[in-house]
Amino acid sequence: MIDEGLRNELSKQGVVVTGFQDLYNWGRKNSLWPMQFGLACCAIEMIATAMARFDLSRFGSEVFRNSPRQSDLMIVAGTVTKKMAPQVVRLYNQMSEPKYVIAMGACAISGGPFKQGYNVLKGIDRFIPVDVHIPGCPPRPEALLHALITLQEKISKETFTGPGRPRHLDPNAPSEFPIPVCGPDDLTPPSNPEVWRPPTMVRED
Amino acid sequence: MESLEEIKARVEASVTGAAVEIVPNDAPCQQRSLRVGREKAREVAEFLRDDPRLRLDYASNATGVDWPDTVTKQKVKVKKQINGVEQEVEETLEERKPGCLEAVYHLYSMALKQGPVILRVRTADRMQGVHLPSLTPVWRGAEFQEREIYDLYGIVFDGHPDLRRLLMWEGYRHHPMRKDFVEPDDYEYEPTPHDEVLEKAKAHYPADGGTQGGTA
Amino acid sequence: MTGSYSTNEFLAVLLLVAILFPIGPLLAAWSWAKFMCPAKPGPHKNAIYECGLESKGDAWVQFRSEYYLYALIFLVFDVETLFLLPFAAAFKGLPLGAFAAMLFFLLLLVEGLVWAWRKGLLAWK
Repeated sequence: MIDEGLRNELSKQGVVVTGFQDLYNWGRKNSLWPMQFGLACCAIEMIATAMARFDLSRFGSEVFRNSPRQSDLMIVAGTVTKKMAPQVVRLYNQMSEPKYVIAMGACAISGGPFKQGYNVLKGIDRFIPVDVHIPGCPPRPEALLHALITLQEKISKETFTGPGRPRHLDPNAPSEFPIPVCGPDDLTPPSNPEVWRPPTMVRED
Repeated sequence: MESLEEIKARVEASVTGAAVEIVPNDAPCQQRSLRVGREKAREVAEFLRDDPRLRLDYASNATGVDWPDTVTKQKVKVKKQINGVEQEVEETLEERKPGCLEAVYHLYSMALKQGPVILRVRTADRMQGVHLPSLTPVWRGAEFQEREIYDLYGIVFDGHPDLRRLLMWEGYRHHPMRKDFVEPDDYEYEPTPHDEVLEKAKAHYPADGGTQGGTA
Repeated sequence: MTGSYSTNEFLAVLLLVAILFPIGPLLAAWSWAKFMCPAKPGPHKNAIYECGLESKGDAWVQFRSEYYLYALIFLVFDVETLFLLPFAAAFKGLPLGAFAAMLFFLLLLVEGLVWAWRKGLLAWK
């Protein structure tokens, strides 16, 4: 909106110029409160990130809220089993807007090393929209911090109107996602087609 | 601790009708186990727990084994009449052995610091006769383990205080650790498939070779 | 110099600021929320939170009557303190009869406290 050169000149003189959008995004991205959602081993790394050495609270994630109603960010850390999947989706639904999801670790991205397990959901992005994926098993605390910074950059690029809108300002985005039911053989439905479509692969034979 | 043969002799002397046999083990650990008939399994368990020389009061682990139906083919030379001429013909005899399920208990003694004694109990077959007496009234530690065996193998333990599925959800139809368990087909996307995973994933690839897609 | 202004004008300014000071931010927040926070309700979103499970029954629990009694006793003694305050402020200039009357008032309320104590209302069960 304002020329960068002019902005720098003004800030050297002690005048800060910003826009509504930047201010709004700046406030939101620097105060993402995570929800405690440690499911498995990645939770240990998430706890380590929150502790003194790799402090997460200096990025604004001061407190890990226990209730989804008070949190902005859900860090899915660990393997999501099919028995747990309805509860994950229900908790995501109960978070208040604006909300973001980080899928931490290989298990939350695609099932991870336990992908062939009978009770493992092959990635939480089958049911809820994920903003940042962190590969790793488990990812180091620095990787989680990098993911948080990536999410902050993503938030700072969001606009009020137009295609860059966040989900909570988009009237076409659904307000909640359908919760899978544990059926006799598998989850019903096994994935949410609006959220996840497997990429088309080419047969090599 | 006394040897398995001595334990077997004392069990047979104490519990009438108990069918005890020693299961050999060719592995380097040479850990042999006692197989007990399921009718008297509870009495044998109580004897093992209460006997003053054994005092096996701690069931550290209980697990299940699935022995599937086996078909053994044997080539047998048989004299047969073919067109009036007696000839020796090779025939293959198929012997079909029905399988069963088995529950294995690892028992230790905390009082006398000895063990392990491994107890095996077999069901009648893999279809309807999957009932076994529950050893939870004997060893409390077997409670959750027997629930897990019921969940994953399908052995129904009679006398268990709370037999429900543990790992899978209520209403799930299958028993995942059985050898004939078929996984649900949700291998739509595999970034680096190989071997059997590749076979499972190929079923989802478009047959005409669709466009190379990026991420969803 | 405040000579030429009357008190009423100052009062008018005070009233205006006193009304605008709380109402202003409230109006700003309301109009911001109207445009920037569109409501996105949903049946599962508004359901009762129970760690991801479906909640069985109401979130209303039975109210404990000890809270009500505690508040009642507090109210009585708070009002008594309120009455004691002007008495304490004007203590030095009061005759003996006033002191006796106040003591009688205090003793009445102490009797009330002893009654509550004997009834077991001061113990939290």
